[in-house]
Amino acid sequence: MQKKWVGLSLALVLALVIAGCSGNSGTNGTSNTGTGNGGDTNNAATNTGNNNATPDTPAGEPVQLKYWTDDRHDQEYIKELVDEFNATNEDNIQVELTVMSENYTQSVDIAFSSNQAPDVLRLKSGNTPDFFKKGYLAPIDAYMTDALNEKFGNLLLDGVNRFGGKVYSLPNTGLTLRLVYNKDLFAKAGIESPPASLQEMVDDAKAITEMGKSKGIYGFALNYKSPKSAFDRSVREILSLSGHQGLGFDLKTGQFDFAPYGQIIEYFKQMYEDGSFLPGAESLDIDPLRAQFAAGKIGMYLSFSTEPGVYTDQFPTDINWGGALAPSLDGEIKGTSEIVSAGTWLGISAQSANPEAAFKFMQYMYGDEILTTYHEKGFGIAIVPSIVEQAGDPDIAGMEGFLVGEHDSLWPVSPTVTPEGPGYADAYFKYMIEGGDVGAIAEDLNTRYNAALASAIEKGEVSVTPMPDFDPANPQGE
Amino acid sequence: MSMKWKRLGENVWFLSPSIVLTAALGVYPLIWMLRYMFYDYAGYGEPLFIGLDNFQRLMRDGQFWESVGQTFVYAGGKLVLTLPVSLLLAVFLNGKLRGAGLLRGIYFVPTIISTAVISVVFYTIFNAYNGMVNTVLMKLHLIGQPIDWLGPKYAMLTVILVAVWGAVGNYMLLFLAGLQGIPQDLYESASIDGASASRRLWSITLPMLAPVAQLVIMLAIIASLKGYESIMLITEGGPIGKTEVMYLYLYKLLFPVSTGSPVEQQLGYGSAVGFATAVIVGAITGLYFLLSRKMNKMY
Repeated sequence: MQKKWVGLSLALVLALVIAGCSGNSGTNGTSNTGTGNGGDTNNAATNTGNNNATPDTPAGEPVQLKYWTDDRHDQEYIKELVDEFNATNEDNIQVELTVMSENYTQSVDIAFSSNQAPDVLRLKSGNTPDFFKKGYLAPIDAYMTDALNEKFGNLLLDGVNRFGGKVYSLPNTGLTLRLVYNKDLFAKAGIESPPASLQEMVDDAKAITEMGKSKGIYGFALNYKSPKSAFDRSVREILSLSGHQGLGFDLKTGQFDFAPYGQIIEYFKQMYEDGSFLPGAESLDIDPLRAQFAAGKIGMYLSFSTEPGVYTDQFPTDINWGGALAPSLDGEIKGTSEIVSAGTWLGISAQSANPEAAFKFMQYMYGDEILTTYHEKGFGIAIVPSIVEQAGDPDIAGMEGFLVGEHDSLWPVSPTVTPEGPGYADAYFKYMIEGGDVGAIAEDLNTRYNAALASAIEKGEVSVTPMPDFDPANPQGE
Repeated sequence: MSMKWKRLGENVWFLSPSIVLTAALGVYPLIWMLRYMFYDYAGYGEPLFIGLDNFQRLMRDGQFWESVGQTFVYAGGKLVLTLPVSLLLAVFLNGKLRGAGLLRGIYFVPTIISTAVISVVFYTIFNAYNGMVNTVLMKLHLIGQPIDWLGPKYAMLTVILVAVWGAVGNYMLLFLAGLQGIPQDLYESASIDGASASRRLWSITLPMLAPVAQLVIMLAIIASLKGYESIMLITEGGPIGKTEVMYLYLYKLLFPVSTGSPVEQQLGYGSAVGFATAVIVGAITGLYFLLSRKMNKMY
């Protein structure tokens, strides 16, 4: 009897240790198979293999799907849609919506490594390539009907929603970037219109601060708790309007060149030195910033077209505010304002046991009525031509300033690389606060980013084709 | 079956839970880290063996060494404030004080509150634009302008204060447990001999508490060197890296926290940094044990 217990105990120990190890090995195995050097096809094959997992739902029981998103601005509407789908779909599918507040990518990583991944994921142009490389996504080509191909076909872009010839997501909306400003504070400071150049922005921020500082009102703020998040919603837009790619990449040479970036930062530094920033902006997150703007304490900041939705649902406000085209470097528009996060919306997990049910939900979400309403409610700017044709202007305060106009367009995708040492946002934020040699910073960034780019190209992780004839005023070349 | 085998069987059976947990949660991650610190690995694709490249990079990584410096400032500040305060509170609450039980509970509460909640509350209290600290100081006319408590100049001081507030109750309780193990008759004899309260503290309490204090201080050192959670939530290591301690730097390599475009995971280099941080913490702890060995023989 005792021997039996000893045997059972050892078996239990071994089984648990092996299970503990094999869980991760399995995950690594999937990724490894999928994303070896240029292994797009392998990846797709692996994903498809996972898709063939037998659904473990007993007959009669509803198919349970998990849908994760990190969008908060549209959460009430999405919840309504999910409830409606759960109540009306005839395939006995029930979707559980989870809205993440922070660290979405990290939560997705943990979910996939522990085999608890959601079935449907919110995909953004920023995270889709990474999710694809990690083998998280299932291709949807097999589910694409003629009608869907006709509706979305012209919008499917390599490196955005298509990888290795397979489609992983469909587009819905893009985000425009604008200067968000408090019209009343501008008027009180005697400023007639939003700034067209960076020098005007510096002067306006100073004037607003001088007018309102005694009441806790300041001219400018950005969410510098994450410098990258702050600059990617501000400098990026100013650069693209001024004729430069917004993330420091030179599309003409196919190399990183941060010299133009440094020129923009000089003006931000001037505003900081003038005391025009909201006190504490150095550690400010985006939601506290919005709360202060809604309270009428900030003259202006730069952000995405999600802001009208935010000020309707998340931080309702009575202040008289609007969105305007961002200023350019010298007041002259030499490029176009980049429409960002365009091309992806929803995708299906490679670990989903019910990919067909997941696509049925996805198909429901991509229906004309929902996409049209999504645009009209102001949650995003529609980029699907058939939706643009039928949708009315968004019925939401402030959205008129964010609508796609003559100065907006999609830009070619720039490569994402991870250099050794501080990234561009941290380096320039440090310069903004402490000063230094801005030329040397650009040179250092160019060296490190181009080294990382060369390494990524060598490993087959990215490919770059210089575009010597690239015209920033007409980025699509049409 | 012999007695020897029976005893062995029982031992294995009783030890199996800890063996499993140690193997799965301790040994396996350690082996994983020791392997990948020699690889270039971003969490996907084939890991590429690069020998000692990650360690060469570590030696020239200014951000890492700055974070090591910030860690010493953070840990030093936290220890210098936490240990004396928690010891004094423990001595105070060890006496026959009315309501001592309630006060112990109150001081211990921060230990069981979620770090996330503490961080949000302290952000609200310390933020420069409408934080309570500035509001009170300005109403008392102690300052004329809001102080940026989370700015480059004061952010480290602020996160140390938050850490001290969260830790004092915990160490107070540990010191209290040590104090209650000191025989009362020693104090009674000393009193009969005419020893004053301060003399009793110096000649009885502190020497008798020394073995417990040695352990408590060690735990405090390790916790201070490894602490980063509240910093991540309050300042995310900023502004301009002024509060970036080494475990936060490591965390960001393994789980990029930027809300902008993605920064790739660096599991290979992160493993090398993880190894280096473990060596640093281990060396400091070992050094402390070496220097404090007399504390174990004070009575």
